[in-house]
Amino acid sequence: MDKIRRALLGQIAKLTAGAALVPLSSIASAGINDQPPRREGDPEKRYAMLIDLRACIGCQACTVSCHIENEAPLGNFRTIVSQYEVEHEETGNTATFMLPRLCNHCETPPCVPVCPVQATFQREDGIVVVDNEACVGCAYCVQACPYDARFINEYTQTADKCTFCAHRLDVGLLPACVESCVGGARIIGDIRDPDSQISRMMKEHYDELMVLKPEMGTAPHVFYLGMDERFVSRPDAKPAIWDVRDQQGEEVGYEFSGH
Amino acid sequence: MNSAVIEVLAPRYGIAWYPWAVQYFFLIAVSYSALLLTVPGLLFGKKNYESLAKVALLVTVSCTLVGPVALLADLHQPLRFWHFYANLTPWSWMSIGSLLLPVYLVLVVAYAWLAWRPAMQVQAQGEGWIARLSGWVSLGQWHASRWMLVVAGLGALVLSVGIMVYTGAEVAIVKARPLWNTYWLPVMFVLTGLVAAAGLVILINRLMTGNDQEVNEQSLKVIFVTMVLSALVAALWVSEGITGFSPSVEQAFASLQRNPEWRAVAIYGLLVGVALTLSAIAMLRRPGWIGRSWLAGLLAVHIGWTFRWMVLMEVQTVAKNTAGYYHYAIEAGSSGLMGIIGTFGLWLAALLIIDILVPWKKSLQASSH
Repeated sequence: MDKIRRALLGQIAKLTAGAALVPLSSIASAGINDQPPRREGDPEKRYAMLIDLRACIGCQACTVSCHIENEAPLGNFRTIVSQYEVEHEETGNTATFMLPRLCNHCETPPCVPVCPVQATFQREDGIVVVDNEACVGCAYCVQACPYDARFINEYTQTADKCTFCAHRLDVGLLPACVESCVGGARIIGDIRDPDSQISRMMKEHYDELMVLKPEMGTAPHVFYLGMDERFVSRPDAKPAIWDVRDQQGEEVGYEFSGH
Repeated sequence: MNSAVIEVLAPRYGIAWYPWAVQYFFLIAVSYSALLLTVPGLLFGKKNYESLAKVALLVTVSCTLVGPVALLADLHQPLRFWHFYANLTPWSWMSIGSLLLPVYLVLVVAYAWLAWRPAMQVQAQGEGWIARLSGWVSLGQWHASRWMLVVAGLGALVLSVGIMVYTGAEVAIVKARPLWNTYWLPVMFVLTGLVAAAGLVILINRLMTGNDQEVNEQSLKVIFVTMVLSALVAALWVSEGITGFSPSVEQAFASLQRNPEWRAVAIYGLLVGVALTLSAIAMLRRPGWIGRSWLAGLLAVHIGWTFRWMVLMEVQTVAKNTAGYYHYAIEAGSSGLMGIIGTFGLWLAALLIIDILVPWKKSLQASSH
């Protein structure tokens, strides 16, 4: 009992002390649903990712390695590769299209200002993170994200999302998805450094780069090279492996659990 | 597009707001709407609205007490609710709401306490434990001036506007869900809230006070007017989508394209809305029918609740990025069916406890002066 109370009081103290450190002027300048000031992270950097779709083979190695690295519950993904089968209606020719999805670490992330307890915030280096000890699990950020990049983690009962593997970046390692990508399709780096690989590639392919759902005004910082504009927003597609039961109602495959 | 696209593997995203959210939005809307219905009789002291005010006050207090419980339950970490107050976040609508809600609750309870107090003081003169309890609750026999009731009532009204704005804005600002992202949503929440509150007043009037015809008539008028306004708002919303005046409404329509279930929902909504409006007119015009107002009351409550169910639950099944629609089946447990039943059970308990302890059918403070 005492231990719990001590922990609770300690947390209150920590939180109120934290609140006192936020300059009042910055609070006054943020209108309702405006972006609050960024905190933590390296202000000299701005992390972004470039995904070269020409090199993606849809192997889902990123999906699996992220799942292992970040211990997401089964059926929830911080990153996943959407796979589309595209059939030409006249010729009948088919092609596949791979689209890795993850948090876009937007310049104006709609998930951040909605958070009622400032548990989710954007670091100075642009990475959007969640402090899951402060998160109350209201799931408002899950609703606000146009990219379905967030979910409520059933183990922690708090919001969960891709962090660009900030814990790895901070110690000089690459994110799990980048490390495991067999085609080298995912390039992460600091776009404020003009010599970084991502900066050079962005300069070279400036006119070809696309982001997801630009109409949302979020200024995503995951850029796609070799993108088809029909897939930029919710594609007009039919789901295939979705109900994994045969005609007799028997389960024929793995259904994502929990639903 | 001259190609057919199949999404080979579509992950299912579960819903993030549970039916608790529907219960909260329903109860709090009924609360602020019923509060409005108490105004002519209780705050302005108009004699012919006193019976309406009595029932509406009971409705507003019971819903105000239970609503926040459902809200708390919708948090995945309910014991961390104090984080709201340790991290004031004035740029978040939800945080603003967390400040408004407790003040609103206290003012509504104070308003009702002052209104019921004279009758409770009389009750306290009697014998038995209810009398003793009434004495404690009324905090003595001193006389509370009418200005106290007026201040509490006006304060509750001001805060109720805050609740209307925050509950509406909280949902309507979410651009990621075009079906929510419209200025009309907060308006519609208030209008359907009034429909449901008037409906609930009619039901309580039928079940607990002997079916007072004046209350039925006044409530049916509220239902008629708010239904006509709702139809107008719905028409404006639809025309914004068709004309492309609002890109987000246009997107909302596109997200439901060719979906037979949503088409059925729209047709059902239209039919039920027309049925309620017409039955309200019929009951008001034919003197013999007004006694059956409870039928319209049931329909009104159904509309108010189902509107919130569709908006808050079913909209979450519209995928943001992936193909198709998610299937949502209500779970049996506390995040599903038990939550819905439990909230209504708690509300019923609150209603009955008030009914046992408070002589709410006696004269309100408004008429004692």
